[in-house]
Amino acid sequence: MTKPRAPVQSARRYELVAAALRANIASGRLQPGFVLLEGPIAGLMKTSRAPVQAALRILEEENLVHRFEGRGYLVGGSRAAVSPVRRDLSKLGLRIPNEIDSALQNRGLWERVYEEVESAVSASLIFGDFRIVEGALGDYYGVSRTVVRDVLGRLHERGLIEKTQSSHWVAGALTAQTVRERFQVRQLLEPEALRTVGDRIEFDRLARARTLLRAGESVAGGPAEWIRLDRALMEHAVLRAPNTHLVELIRQNQLPLAAASRALTKLGLPEDTVAANEYLVLFDLILDRAISAAAMYWRDHLGNVAEKNLARLKLVAVISDAPLGVPYLTLRDAY
Amino acid sequence: MARTLRPAAPSIGRKRTLRVLGTDISLLETVRVRAAEDLGFEIAFEALDFPSCQRKAALDPDSYDVYDQCFHNLGIVWHWGALQPIDTSRLQSWNRVGPLTKLGGVDKYASRGVGDVPKNKLYVQSDHALGPNESRFISMLPTVHNFDSFGYDVRLFEGDEPLRESWAMLFDPRAKGRVALVDEPAIGLFDIALAAESSGTLSFVDICNMSPSELGALFAYLQVKLNEGFFVRCWSTGQEAAGLFKRGEAGVQSMWSPAYGMLGATSEYVREAEPAEGYRGWHGGLSVARHVSGPVLQMAYEYMEWWLSGWAGAVMARQGYYISTPAASSAHLTAAEWAYWYDGREASEDLVGVDGATVVVRKGARRSGGSYLERARRIALWNTVMDEHNYATRAWARFVAAVNGRAR
Repeated sequence: MTKPRAPVQSARRYELVAAALRANIASGRLQPGFVLLEGPIAGLMKTSRAPVQAALRILEEENLVHRFEGRGYLVGGSRAAVSPVRRDLSKLGLRIPNEIDSALQNRGLWERVYEEVESAVSASLIFGDFRIVEGALGDYYGVSRTVVRDVLGRLHERGLIEKTQSSHWVAGALTAQTVRERFQVRQLLEPEALRTVGDRIEFDRLARARTLLRAGESVAGGPAEWIRLDRALMEHAVLRAPNTHLVELIRQNQLPLAAASRALTKLGLPEDTVAANEYLVLFDLILDRAISAAAMYWRDHLGNVAEKNLARLKLVAVISDAPLGVPYLTLRDAY
Repeated sequence: MARTLRPAAPSIGRKRTLRVLGTDISLLETVRVRAAEDLGFEIAFEALDFPSCQRKAALDPDSYDVYDQCFHNLGIVWHWGALQPIDTSRLQSWNRVGPLTKLGGVDKYASRGVGDVPKNKLYVQSDHALGPNESRFISMLPTVHNFDSFGYDVRLFEGDEPLRESWAMLFDPRAKGRVALVDEPAIGLFDIALAAESSGTLSFVDICNMSPSELGALFAYLQVKLNEGFFVRCWSTGQEAAGLFKRGEAGVQSMWSPAYGMLGATSEYVREAEPAEGYRGWHGGLSVARHVSGPVLQMAYEYMEWWLSGWAGAVMARQGYYISTPAASSAHLTAAEWAYWYDGREASEDLVGVDGATVVVRKGARRSGGSYLERARRIALWNTVMDEHNYATRAWARFVAAVNGRAR
């Protein structure tokens, strides 16, 4: 076999989706102005919407697609004056390169189950302590005990669940204490990582994200803006630090926070102009190559974000029932 | 400026309306009617329970103009960006607001209390956060407040020794099976936490900001007491609390001031405690929704001014609540009312309640705890939405359901 399969196999799902779309834009099968919607792409690629969202953001930063007034993205760079072309994606005869297709399809049953379980567990964290009933999980997805064990093992590895003395798998509540402690860890690790990234920072990508914001409809605007900026900062700067162990620690530490943040966002985020503006300052510092100052600024910023997260967490108290909708998570008293 | 000609028969429906979101503490029909008369515009009240009110205020700020709530229900709503700063230079009554909220205590010697101290949420700081440093802009105009304790049936605690009133009485073996609590987590949780701490069972580093493990210990202890059959009920309204005493079901319980006026003949046996540890304070106030501007904003300021101008404070006094501008209300209270409610002196005649008819205080009675100053000096803690509020509320909800499920 001559094809470089390994890199594709180990790629993240959103990278696979992005690669497939990129190939079809390059070949012209996806014409300028074509309206790309998450749903149909997810259907075609047999994946959930989240990797499609991430893939579209990457392509946007590469200036291959851009947002417009309607729903979705238009193929083509933001300066291209094109009118939207709305057609059925499934009838275009898109080419999904073989190695990408097989990588998408062969990720294994357990990975698909994993994604769903992780999402359910993540959503539960803000609603209290839960037990994960292994039998019910297996029945729900129609998978064997081996798959269930693999899935739970991975969740354990990533710090989202733990085993009690009585050998039950449990997902501990995300308490204010956890949030505070994890943000303290972020304040220790992330500015340090940023300091060491050096030339590995993808300045062009950051500049692009920064431009999108300036040109965007809402500089001071809604939560989506700063979530996007946060992601760009992580992907193109902080997580590119040369110390891979440090990067892994940062990722691990952020997991429950990110999970909770997603759950909180679903409940409705407050408009946060301060946060968006803080990112602007930070991006400018990095783009001016004032990395040390940026690292210090990032540390202070994380302190502010921690306080905001604590306030958001308090509001969840008014939502009484955990709307989880899966039978394998049951509420428990942890005391 | 030329005045617009008014139609001969002004249509009520075309009058502007100020929408007030709040709770039963202050959204009384008698207040609404009088305010509308005095101010010349329509006023609509929406009264909800504390958590629902707080939630709506945060997530649906367009649905109201004025938020009438407590300082402990302010932080979340403010953080959510649902409210706007109030300019004190536009409020004449601001100068008359007492030192409890402005300075943190009624005088130098008053205990400040821990938890959601109103002063710490009162002033809008330069970064738009709330804090204790004085500024021209405030988050909430302080209005109604009180210093709560618990009530008990004196017959239950009769003995040879003089009784030392303490929150620990909620766990007194004689009260077993007859303990009731208010079901609101930012309130009832602290009543029982004060009881657990003052009885020597548990100890908290900061009772108003418990850690998850401290909460775990508290709820484990409550579970033990639940199994022993200590609790009879968790109630949500003052009427319910009064009913529990009248039927003899409760021997000691959380109490709100208006509930003492609903006891009828039972009031002879029920005493409002002056706990050795101090009171659980709370303070209400008025905030303005972010979206309000123009004429409606002017109405909101007029409404706030009206609240502190005297009449409303007198109505509040008749249900046992204090107002932040007591001097303005004294003119609207009889000498006997002022003497009883504010000065802690013996009632020289029967006193009626908010409805102007029902006798809520018998001649000869004396308000527990004494005068306003005496009571306000003894604040142990304030109603609080602590950091672990979400975690605590969920555990508390399960506890409440267990108590009330058992009672049925």
